[in-house]
Amino acid sequence: MHRVRFLFMGLALAATVASAQTTVGQPGRLLASNCFQCHGTNGKGPGFDSLAGKSSSEIYKELKEFQSGKEGNGIMARHAMAYTDAQMQLIANWFASQK
Amino acid sequence: MERRNFLNAASAGLAASLLAACGGGDPTTSDARPVVDRSKTPQPVTTSTTAKARVIVIGGGMGGATVAKYLRLWGDAISVTLIERMPTYTSNIMSSMVLSGQRTLGSLSYNYDTLRSKYGISTVFGEVVAVDPVGGKVTMADKTVLVADRIVMAPGISFDTVPGLGTSDKMPHAWQAGPQTTLLANQLKAMTAGFNHNVVLTIPKTPYRCPPGPYERACLIADWLRVNKPGSKLIVLDANLDFVTEKDNFSRAFLGIHGNVIEYHTDAEIFEVNPANMSLTTTKGITYHGDVVNMIPRQRAGSLIATAGLNNAPDGRFAGVNVLSYASTVSGADKVHIIGDSSATTQPKAGHIANQEAKVCADAISRILSGGSPDPAPVTNSACYSTITMSQASWLTAVFQYDGGVMKPVLASSAASPDWNQGNFDQMGTWFKALMADSFA
Repeated sequence: MHRVRFLFMGLALAATVASAQTTVGQPGRLLASNCFQCHGTNGKGPGFDSLAGKSSSEIYKELKEFQSGKEGNGIMARHAMAYTDAQMQLIANWFASQK
Repeated sequence: MERRNFLNAASAGLAASLLAACGGGDPTTSDARPVVDRSKTPQPVTTSTTAKARVIVIGGGMGGATVAKYLRLWGDAISVTLIERMPTYTSNIMSSMVLSGQRTLGSLSYNYDTLRSKYGISTVFGEVVAVDPVGGKVTMADKTVLVADRIVMAPGISFDTVPGLGTSDKMPHAWQAGPQTTLLANQLKAMTAGFNHNVVLTIPKTPYRCPPGPYERACLIADWLRVNKPGSKLIVLDANLDFVTEKDNFSRAFLGIHGNVIEYHTDAEIFEVNPANMSLTTTKGITYHGDVVNMIPRQRAGSLIATAGLNNAPDGRFAGVNVLSYASTVSGADKVHIIGDSSATTQPKAGHIANQEAKVCADAISRILSGGSPDPAPVTNSACYSTITMSQASWLTAVFQYDGGVMKPVLASSAASPDWNQGNFDQMGTWFKALMADSFA
């Protein structure tokens, strides 16, 4: 009995999570998806450096360094120059939330 | 076990209702019915039995595959049917390297198995003959009709007729990878080397698919000719007044390292060709000859766009869209979305950005179908690598921010590599692998 109830609750929870994802969308997700072409879907590869689960402050700091030109004028520097501070923060937070 | 059976039944019912609702009749009695391979349809990750919104995606290239994937990845409230002519997709990206013998077409082949098994997308392989943008109906060649709440069209490009070419296969475009690529590769391999045995490559007026593409192909063919057909030249006939993109790198390459091989003519639009004597005449009346001719014609949206009356962009070649959702701007047709090369936007026509347009579109459709509105500030990006020699590459990039109704390129991000090198060539391989996985896996 207990096991059945537990399973039922599990399904109900899954349904809630799924519908929340569908209706609300996630802040930063669409922005972060600009990175997926080269860093993999959800930042999990294959491709260049994996971004999923890195700390938000680390990703943000790297983006700012690219943007400043300190890292040269490579393809990532050029990309970083396009984003606002707020957008970078959203992107960094979103990747940090991916396990 | 019970849950699995239940889900199977739900999935079969869903597929049946999709067909039945379209008035397609009993699919089992139709001899040319589209293939809906249910054995490969995975158990969807269903958590609810409520009816899902239905989206049909037409075209399984970079844009179509990506939008189908992300519509499912970003929510389970939508069922997705992807309609595509062929069960495998051959990547246009990297296909010029088939001409130089560095890639096989097989290495550029992708299928839809992962989209089915991992994301629960249904596939229909067949030819679409009509789209009713107001009624949300798609008619297949076998008269089957599919209906949906939203339709996403990603039919790529079609070509203008080249006067004089007829059905001759002597001047392939090889601008849609596949048999045309093989044809051109074989013609190049078979040509006689030496003085007056030349290759001609034509560049159409903009906008066309992949702005740097013809220039990178020219560089690659030039490098290949230098080694394999010494003495032969590559005559590039550009219909545009100047290099369309990445001028610094391409002009330095054309005039520098490939200066002994490439003969470059601008403002050279093709008026007519004669495959019998392998000649091309420009609108200015100048005639050129080639042992091999890579005739890349002027382009417009995939023909379904005009068939459906959605080619409302200024010159009637492409589809006008609202770039917040990629919905058609034709009155009454806003439940049809057009992404990728077929749409008329400020963004280039290329695979990488088609992938990002697809994500913006998928996100917008998910929001709209759950009662919301599209993200008011989408960002898209384009990145690509171009072969300058058979072992060195450059890169080109651009990022677009939504601004006042259009996707506006951010100036600091619209840039090319300052040079070309082996490192970029290696990165090109990583980029390609990642991009294809993000689109098809």
